[in-house]
Amino acid sequence: MNFKYVFFILITATASVLGQDDFPVTQSKAGSPFNQSKFVPDISMIVDFSWVSRDIDNGVFSELHMPGFTHHHDKEGHDHSSMNSLKGFNLNYGEISFYSIVDPYFDLFAVLHVAEEHAGLEEAYITTRKLPYGFQVKAGKFLSSFGRLNEQHTHYLDFAERPLVLNAFFGEEGLNELGTRITWVAPTDFYLMLGTEILMGENEASFGTAGFSDVNGLVNIHESENPNLFVGYARSSFDIEETVVLFGFSYAHGKTRMDEGFSASEDEGTAIDASTDILCGDLTVKYIIDAIHNISFQSEYMHRSIDGSLYNRDTSFTVAKNSLERKQAGFYSQLVAKLGLRWRAGVRYDLMNLNDVIIGSTKQNYPENPARYSAMLEYLPTEFSRLRLQVNHDESKYLHTSNGLIYKPYTEFILQLNIAIGAHGAHSF
Amino acid sequence: MRILCFVLTCILYTQVVFSERLQVVTTYPYIADITEKIGGERVRVIPLARGDYNPHVIIPKPSYIAKLRRADLLIINGAQLEIGWLPPILKQANNGNVQPGERGFLDLSTYMHLIDVPTSVSREQGDVHPEGNPHFCMNPDNILLIAKAITDKLCEIDPESKSLYQTNYTEFEKIWGQKTKEWEEKMNPMKGVKVIEYHKNYDYFLQKYGLIIAGTIEPLPGIPPTSRHIGEVEKLIESEKIRCILQDVYNPKDASEYLSKKLNIKMIIFPQDIGAVKEAEGIISLFDEMVRRITQ
Repeated sequence: MNFKYVFFILITATASVLGQDDFPVTQSKAGSPFNQSKFVPDISMIVDFSWVSRDIDNGVFSELHMPGFTHHHDKEGHDHSSMNSLKGFNLNYGEISFYSIVDPYFDLFAVLHVAEEHAGLEEAYITTRKLPYGFQVKAGKFLSSFGRLNEQHTHYLDFAERPLVLNAFFGEEGLNELGTRITWVAPTDFYLMLGTEILMGENEASFGTAGFSDVNGLVNIHESENPNLFVGYARSSFDIEETVVLFGFSYAHGKTRMDEGFSASEDEGTAIDASTDILCGDLTVKYIIDAIHNISFQSEYMHRSIDGSLYNRDTSFTVAKNSLERKQAGFYSQLVAKLGLRWRAGVRYDLMNLNDVIIGSTKQNYPENPARYSAMLEYLPTEFSRLRLQVNHDESKYLHTSNGLIYKPYTEFILQLNIAIGAHGAHSF
Repeated sequence: MRILCFVLTCILYTQVVFSERLQVVTTYPYIADITEKIGGERVRVIPLARGDYNPHVIIPKPSYIAKLRRADLLIINGAQLEIGWLPPILKQANNGNVQPGERGFLDLSTYMHLIDVPTSVSREQGDVHPEGNPHFCMNPDNILLIAKAITDKLCEIDPESKSLYQTNYTEFEKIWGQKTKEWEEKMNPMKGVKVIEYHKNYDYFLQKYGLIIAGTIEPLPGIPPTSRHIGEVEKLIESEKIRCILQDVYNPKDASEYLSKKLNIKMIIFPQDIGAVKEAEGIISLFDEMVRRITQ
């Protein structure tokens, strides 16, 4: 009995002595017992610089627009966040992104868009991790999966800027809305994905929710019921040997409320109350030549139809209401080749091929077939840095003057440097 | 409505037809072959990447999403070899069963002892893998560990066929043991021989058989050779007795060819996976072919 006790004491004493010896070591290894550094999300930063040479002045360039598609900007301190807008050097944007698994049920992804003097939350959304039967839900603020290019971030684009048709219908920031998305992937041999989105519909280029009224209260249009925008799409893909074919159809329907100085109490103004449908078809064909070389054709066609009323208010506060019908369409087609381990080159053609705007019974006399031609050459030292030389010849822009529209074609050279650091997720096809 | 009915019928049909066997998706062909050897008739194995492409930079075809959507089990190499292409398509597959951490997900690297684990990580060192060299399947001893991990996983998710998987594993272990001895004998004279490789693809193979890696054609992992670095390799070949240059099938061969011609040193096209060269049809013939090519 005694012997047992002695033995026990000896063991305990040895253990405690060893434990004391170990103590400082384990402490320094583990750090604070409440340390959570292992849970730091994936963080990355992307910075985009450019040098631009253009054959028109900065002042003229900032006033250019596509009649019938984009508006000329009035003096009202319009936030011109355009990329590559100045001749010489530009700091286009910084992008800070966060990604992490939240818990067994959700992932969170967030992107901060950072400019020199301000920052904003570009995207912030959760996605579900394990819904059954091939479903996934996304909720928050995100770039809509309408069409092929809209959901892609700028740094992933094959050219310095988005195609004309995307800018015309969704603005430079794209269709980026608060809402929710449900996708379903079919359990088939080929890829088939169906998706639907319910969005707020605040996009200024095609939708908008805020109501408007004139000062005398003759016209009083209430804000639209929110959410206001419904998007649906189907995408499918198949391979023929080493050729990948990916195609999709998208549809967006929403109310349009635009107030261009109509509710103000000075000058003249216009406002639109309408219903808008946008249809899109996209096709990508990629031929994988070998382990290094491939060539990819990509095209997207979009058709927009806006139907409703246009309100005009003149300086004497008389209001005129007319029916408004806009049927507009455009597309881009591009061919991009991977020429070597570090080289890519591509060409793109942009065209707005339909611009029928009928106010009342009068067809507006807008210029037809605005187009743009682009070519680029990329040098990629690693997947984290990219140098791109792009040439654009733009025949789509006009200057609004008191004497009417003046055609302003221009040519620009853009030398763009895009850098990524940190833990940046891989990109999809 | 009729079309919709037809589509739904087709979908249900394909589900019924394919649900009989366990659907296993593997990222690379070598994993697929081992899985087939263990799973036998009970599994339908679909590899995603091709063995003759660079395993780091696979183009994530949307058709891979369809394959992942129906998978009961996804087996990956891990150690960040798939980090540049798998995560987005796995996310888009909307299949909760095969997401990391779930029962239908197997990361082989977690069963491995990785070499070249960097003490500090910076992209200044090129395309480094923080967890260590991910090309562990080049050591034949690791293949057995991989087969064991796959067997355990198959038994876990499909316990009904447990005895089949275990029998197949025992069978594979026996054959592999014999082959390992055979390769050991053939590789024995190669001990201490110095070689140069293009990328750090074959370190596990070379270390296993006691060969010495004198250098790489790439100045840093993932960075194409520069003329300055090639100059250094030239000096190395001139000053030391280097037997050969091991060139993979997917990277440009010009630098290795240049050195081979100029300094009269053998350049060997060396496979790193099944399908990289036509003789490497399965996991056994892959090692047969590696041993044959290097000892030639």
